[in-house]
Amino acid sequence: MEKYFDIAYLWSALPQLLPYLWVTIYIASAAVIVGSLLGLLLAAAKLSNNKLLQWLANVYTTVMRCTPSIVLLFLVYYGIPAFSENLFGINLQNVHTGIFVVITFSLQFAAMMSEVIRSAYLAIDRGQFEAAVSVGLTPLQAYRRIIFPQALVIALPNFGNGLIAVLQEGALAYTIGFIDIVGKANLIIANNYNTHALEIYIALAVIYWVISIAIEKSFSLLEKAFSKGKQPLKTT
Amino acid sequence: MELINVKFLIDTFFVALSGVPVALLVTCVSLLIAVPLGFFLALTRINEIPVLKNITKTYVSFVRGTPVIIQIFVLYSSIPLILDGILKNYNIDYAIYDVNPLWYAYIIFSFNTAAVLSEVFRSALQTVPKGQLEAAQAVGLTTAQAYRRIIIPQALVAALPNVCTATINLIKATSLGYAISLQEITLRAKVAANVGYNYLEAYMDIFFVYLILCMTVEYLFKLSERRLSRYKSVVA
Repeated sequence: MEKYFDIAYLWSALPQLLPYLWVTIYIASAAVIVGSLLGLLLAAAKLSNNKLLQWLANVYTTVMRCTPSIVLLFLVYYGIPAFSENLFGINLQNVHTGIFVVITFSLQFAAMMSEVIRSAYLAIDRGQFEAAVSVGLTPLQAYRRIIFPQALVIALPNFGNGLIAVLQEGALAYTIGFIDIVGKANLIIANNYNTHALEIYIALAVIYWVISIAIEKSFSLLEKAFSKGKQPLKTT
Repeated sequence: MELINVKFLIDTFFVALSGVPVALLVTCVSLLIAVPLGFFLALTRINEIPVLKNITKTYVSFVRGTPVIIQIFVLYSSIPLILDGILKNYNIDYAIYDVNPLWYAYIIFSFNTAAVLSEVFRSALQTVPKGQLEAAQAVGLTTAQAYRRIIIPQALVAALPNVCTATINLIKATSLGYAISLQEITLRAKVAANVGYNYLEAYMDIFFVYLILCMTVEYLFKLSERRLSRYKSVVA
């Protein structure tokens, strides 16, 4: 087998790969939305006074942090259908693999977000809430208008990092036969009789690199835009 | 079909456990290479060394911007290609494709971790005020002495939690060693599962092994953090 590096394969792979980028982005977005909601619940549990809820949320976060994504992915992929069939008699064989991918990365993202939300909430001084309530806002209004905008700015960089992380971990979805951008790349390589894999992988790396930089840059812009309200306080 | 084959679950747990030495070996060797390298890279950015600084920046951005699995793919298919070319050039007859995957694992995971650690060390070194270095030099220490005795012990305390995260992520990343047929935890259990399609049990075992491994590492880091920050409690 002749092995050599041919950059032409890289260029020809890009137009084939890019349409599948949307699949990757859809999956990541779905996981981010579901994961953020779950993360909010977890953060609420961690901040509550209920010792049991606190303990459960902390254990969940530790377990998620200690589990490799690929192991979690396969546990969900094999585990959920097996449990639903044996315990409830529901057949999930025909469920799209994308669903399992979304579930896995939502679970993981939720653990990350719960810590981000918790630390952002704790960073806001308690006096802010008390001041808001004392001028006549209801607690809900105080959260919406005073606490949330400030906590958002603090959470933003970590949220951006979480987003990049979930996008990158999503690259493992191909292992359960899901055709996203990595899955497509492997198909292209198989079509080339397993030659010129390197060019295709470099194309993949470049695509991921560009997206990650774009996310990072837009989040730092967002952060600047949202923290505008802070500027006058700093100068005085 | 029964849900979980308990006998297989218990048997395979020990199969998975037998992969722990390999996973730990890869982790330790990668850390041993990555810690000095990461520290050196951090210094190039802190001291703003012209060309090296930019190389470090690009390298770190690449590693942070691409999924680990893609880095494995790219390095695993490019290293033999490059080495083969070099060896052919010098007419050395060596079967480069028969090299133990362990060597690739060392290279790949050091490549990845050095970038992560360089960022960790950079932020940690920046937490130490500049006056510390100046004061050390003023009392007659050389720069190397000042770093060893004054700066690094202080920076280490700040770096430790992030080093812990990096180590955990490294252990988790070794689960991707299956892609280079590294005989670690995940691959061993998976091969055992191939016989009777007991994938769910195998992944549960892998999950437990990683959980135990990562929680132990986390606990050890917590202990050493307490030890290293002793000097703080004297002042406070």
